[in-house]
Amino acid sequence: MNKMNRIIKIALAMVVYIAFPVNLFAQDSVKNDLNLSLGYFMNNNKVVYLKATTKSKIKGKFVQIKGIHINLFLDTDSTANLIGKVTTDDKGIAKAVLPPALKAVWDGASKHNFIAVSEATKEFESTTAEATITKSKIVIDTLNEDAVRSISITVTALNRTSWEPAPDVEMKVGIGRLLGGFLTVGEEATYTTDSSGTVVAALSRKNIPGDENGNIILVAKVEDNELLGNLTVNKTVRWGEAVKSNDGFFNQRTLWSTRFRTPLWLLFMAYSIVIGVWGTIIYLILQIFKIKKLGTATT
Amino acid sequence: MENVTSLSSEKIIHDLLPQKFGKRGMIWTSVLILLCLLGAVAYFRQLKNGLVVTNMRDYASWGIYISNFVFFVAISLVGSLITAIFRLANVKWATPLTRIAEIIAVSAIVFASLIIIVDMGRPERVLNLFTHGRIQSPIMWDVIVISTYFVISLLLLYFPLLPDLKIMIRFKEKSSNALNKLYRFQGSFWNGTAAQFKISERSITILCIAIIPVAFSIHTVTSWLFATTYRAGWDSTNFGAYFISGAFLVGAGAVVVAMYIFRKFYQLEKYITELHFEKMGRIVVMLALLYLYFNINEYMVPAFKMKKSEEAHLSGLFTGDYALMFWFAIVVGMIIPILLLLFKKGRKPLPMFIVGVMIVVGAWFKRYLIVTPTLLHPFLPIQDVPANYHHYFPSWEEWAIAIGSLSGALLIITFFARIYPIIPIQETITEQHEQDEQNY
Repeated sequence: MNKMNRIIKIALAMVVYIAFPVNLFAQDSVKNDLNLSLGYFMNNNKVVYLKATTKSKIKGKFVQIKGIHINLFLDTDSTANLIGKVTTDDKGIAKAVLPPALKAVWDGASKHNFIAVSEATKEFESTTAEATITKSKIVIDTLNEDAVRSISITVTALNRTSWEPAPDVEMKVGIGRLLGGFLTVGEEATYTTDSSGTVVAALSRKNIPGDENGNIILVAKVEDNELLGNLTVNKTVRWGEAVKSNDGFFNQRTLWSTRFRTPLWLLFMAYSIVIGVWGTIIYLILQIFKIKKLGTATT
Repeated sequence: MENVTSLSSEKIIHDLLPQKFGKRGMIWTSVLILLCLLGAVAYFRQLKNGLVVTNMRDYASWGIYISNFVFFVAISLVGSLITAIFRLANVKWATPLTRIAEIIAVSAIVFASLIIIVDMGRPERVLNLFTHGRIQSPIMWDVIVISTYFVISLLLLYFPLLPDLKIMIRFKEKSSNALNKLYRFQGSFWNGTAAQFKISERSITILCIAIIPVAFSIHTVTSWLFATTYRAGWDSTNFGAYFISGAFLVGAGAVVVAMYIFRKFYQLEKYITELHFEKMGRIVVMLALLYLYFNINEYMVPAFKMKKSEEAHLSGLFTGDYALMFWFAIVVGMIIPILLLLFKKGRKPLPMFIVGVMIVVGAWFKRYLIVTPTLLHPFLPIQDVPANYHHYFPSWEEWAIAIGSLSGALLIITFFARIYPIIPIQETITEQHEQDEQNY
């Protein structure tokens, strides 16, 4: 009998489990883990901004989480050191620039710690992320020796009060293309700075299409470096092939052009018909007034 | 007025002056107004919630609204047939039908314009046609020819109305004060002098000449909205003539229906005689044969080749989902009318009325078949669309708006017949006098 009861209990449990596929025994209050990360970005040694990203593992896949409110701090999570309050967008990204009010704090040290604190929501607990960076500079220059064009990039880091070369910094060196594209200058995917903090990358590519003056943009990028963060520097040089945009196609008077490029024959035909027919209509409307005038005169 | 036996002018005026609605007229008008209101409610819902209330999706982006538009455009052609072509050909017997034909044309073209705006979803964007319109687009041509045709039709309605307005002003005791004010505003200056008649007659002749190419344009351009796109069922060089022949048929069918109704409910047997039905019957059978000929061209030739890309579309029409509707439109809208009208008894008023209704209903479904099935079979199918995108059946809002628009067109005709003489009085009197003189 006990065995029978046990079978019935198991069967009942299975029925309940199948009938209610949601996890009845799970606690509703358990929240998902929020993965918060923080990055430091500097473009051309000028623009400094922070990028916070939020994602979470839902049904086995990482999904960007939007609408998370994040407080960003410089060095300590105090109100005085608040960089800003941001909210993640549809891609789970929020950005903030350093406010002028924190200039004194920023200038006061060579190393800084950025702190991101996300606010708790119904789905996620509050969480914290940090990013520690050393102030750095990245300088790009060009060399032209023995008809070989090269790009020299030097990275220096601030040690207390002096700028010192930053060795062993991995970076990408290439040419910026349309829509954020990136073309490496040679066969190497990345380059690493030597003891003097310098990288020299030879431009092995020929006939690179540039703008109408032959300008191309050289780009050096340090990505996710533990000490320096994300650094980017650009330099425009006239090393490309001048490309004259061929807008003749769009300037043609065709049936598929804009309304300002209507074929002349069509304009002529359309306006001739419209003017002819509407001229007749206007004439006929004038005839009504003529009839009216005749009628009034007779009266 | 070949069959009108010597009627005095007073008698003609008495018979043809607008009559107040009777009980049946009030019920008819109330039903039409209710249907229009239902359509307005549905349109309000569409404006509020967007085109999502319709069942038009990525495949069937043109549905019942565009079918209705093509139907209205088609039916409006009758104005040029009865009024212009017959007048220029000096066909005297058609005089009592001219105003019926013109008001059908005007009301149809008004709702053709409105239903296009309904189909746009965002009505204010109609202004973009004027601010950003491209003359290269057939849609722009359609806007131009529709507005032109509307104005010409209005003028063609107005000029022959001038002498009748004077008669109605003379018999002011037959109308309300408001209507008398309207008549005076529109035609008090008409004295019927020789000079006025001369200008009026010349203007009508010019209008009759002008309206024919414009009417042909409106139907050709509407057909080009389809034929200039590369799709199964639309990719045809024959579409202009196909549309015009179909438009003549449905327009003539509509006039026959209207003739019968006005004759019966306004007691116009002396003016719209069996002879008119007999002659209209001959015209309708000729037009039905012509349209059938174009239909055979449009369907048999592609079916003979049965190109892979058109197979799904044609099979859907002949034996598939749309087979019932397709064969209904062909058999009820063309073949049965032809068979009935070939016999003299078929050209009597009641059989003609039934045939007219069959033609008009068949024509409406024919327009639906021209528009929608093609869209469901694109050459390049969209990937991963929901299953319901592959089918189209209008939502209740679409039905209500379509029925509301049809009711609106009928309402315009109804109110017109209430306010103005539906048969031209002055022309009837003149022709009566001419006939009397000949007899004398």
